[in-house]
Amino acid sequence: MDHQIFIDLQDRFDRESELFEGIKAQTKELDRACRLASAQLSKAHSLPRDRAKEVADAVGPQFVAIRDNIGRLAALVTPATFYKLQGMWANALQTACALVVFAVYLAEARLATPEDVGAYLGCKVNTGNQEIAEFVVTLEEYLHGVISLFSELSRLAVNSVIVGDVQRPQEISTFASELYSGFQLLNLKNDSLRRRFDSIKYEVKKIEEVLYDLRVRRLTA
Amino acid sequence: MDEAPSAVEAGGDGKPAKARLDNSESLTSNSSERKQAVLETFGRYRDTLDAHHDQRERVIKCSRDITALSKKMIFALLRVTQDPPESVFKDVQVKHDKVLELFRKMSADLQGSDAAKYNRQATPALQEYIEAIGLWRFLEHNQLISKQQVEETLAASNIALVTDEDYLLGIGDLPGEVNRYCINAIGKNDHEAVHRCLAFMRQLKDGVSLVMSSCGSKDLRKKAEVLDSSLGKTEMAYYSMSVREREFAQKSH
Repeated sequence: MDHQIFIDLQDRFDRESELFEGIKAQTKELDRACRLASAQLSKAHSLPRDRAKEVADAVGPQFVAIRDNIGRLAALVTPATFYKLQGMWANALQTACALVVFAVYLAEARLATPEDVGAYLGCKVNTGNQEIAEFVVTLEEYLHGVISLFSELSRLAVNSVIVGDVQRPQEISTFASELYSGFQLLNLKNDSLRRRFDSIKYEVKKIEEVLYDLRVRRLTA
Repeated sequence: MDEAPSAVEAGGDGKPAKARLDNSESLTSNSSERKQAVLETFGRYRDTLDAHHDQRERVIKCSRDITALSKKMIFALLRVTQDPPESVFKDVQVKHDKVLELFRKMSADLQGSDAAKYNRQATPALQEYIEAIGLWRFLEHNQLISKQQVEETLAASNIALVTDEDYLLGIGDLPGEVNRYCINAIGKNDHEAVHRCLAFMRQLKDGVSLVMSSCGSKDLRKKAEVLDSSLGKTEMAYYSMSVREREFAQKSH
């Protein structure tokens, strides 16, 4: 018995921690690009509905930056190491998904599909449970992104009244409750998705309160 | 730079969103249609998530069975100080075959990228198994089992991935068992065995502390502490034995 076994292990661990550093740095870049896009999309809260698409379209360059960052991140990862490392960027990708979901909602008042997310982020969403052959956005990350839309929607319901649009909250409410019924189909385990899911009802309630305020004062039809 | 905005247009379902919203007549029917579509889509997501959780559960169950059986292998191996080694190793071989059978069953859920996906569930089994065959190798050949040897044994069961952490944490548990064996050997006054144990544990301790600086695993830190205490126990036991022997030697003079 000699120390060679341990020296080899040490080498591999050292190489692995270099990889960790690289991924951490790249994830930070991605996070930064996401924050920039998020700030731009937030403008939609202070503008009337007919300018929503304009806001969404203007974020194009930021999405290119996000996509480039995801591409560089993906280059560091192989299918075999993907799930070991995934926790390192999961949060950043959830944010990126949330941005796509919000942008598509602003532009077209519909739910962004996994295909939309794939087109924006330049990497596929794995909606099945099969093994992967490339860097993917996981279904959980996509769903986290969709859940984030609820808080944007409840803010949007409040803010559309501020800019004088009393019809929009009704549409937002319909959309949100349709989406909520989708989430209620999922059998969630006691994980982070479950905790986020539990918060949806409060956002839905907030939207309903806006509707109530408008109706009780006969401000909507 | 203008690719992303075009993705916005390409991402639609073909119908202009505005028309859908402006036409209040069709809003209600569109709404129920839309709701139906959401339910269908999320039904598929549910199936995916369920399949994932089921797979995870299967790995956990298998992992538990392998852990239990590996522990039995270890207990059987420790009987080597009482029973004839040939019969002990034969008994262990039978258990080992059963463990490999279980690994073969588990391997169906651990192919390709899934090996890393469910490693957290599979690692207790791998660690316990590595501990068992590590002890076996030590007792039979006085050698530290290498990761390659582990992989070669498991390849028969179609298990493709043993991570460095699995291996390290598996052999990190060896000192506890070696210490047990050593105490039994002292009882039998088997000096050669006691000496082998001590040398083996010392080398393991040196090796593990070498790797500690590079591996951030919390589990390893815990195991290193246990290793130190096992080694301490063994050294103390060896020490008492030596003192007694000298004392006897003096008296018989």
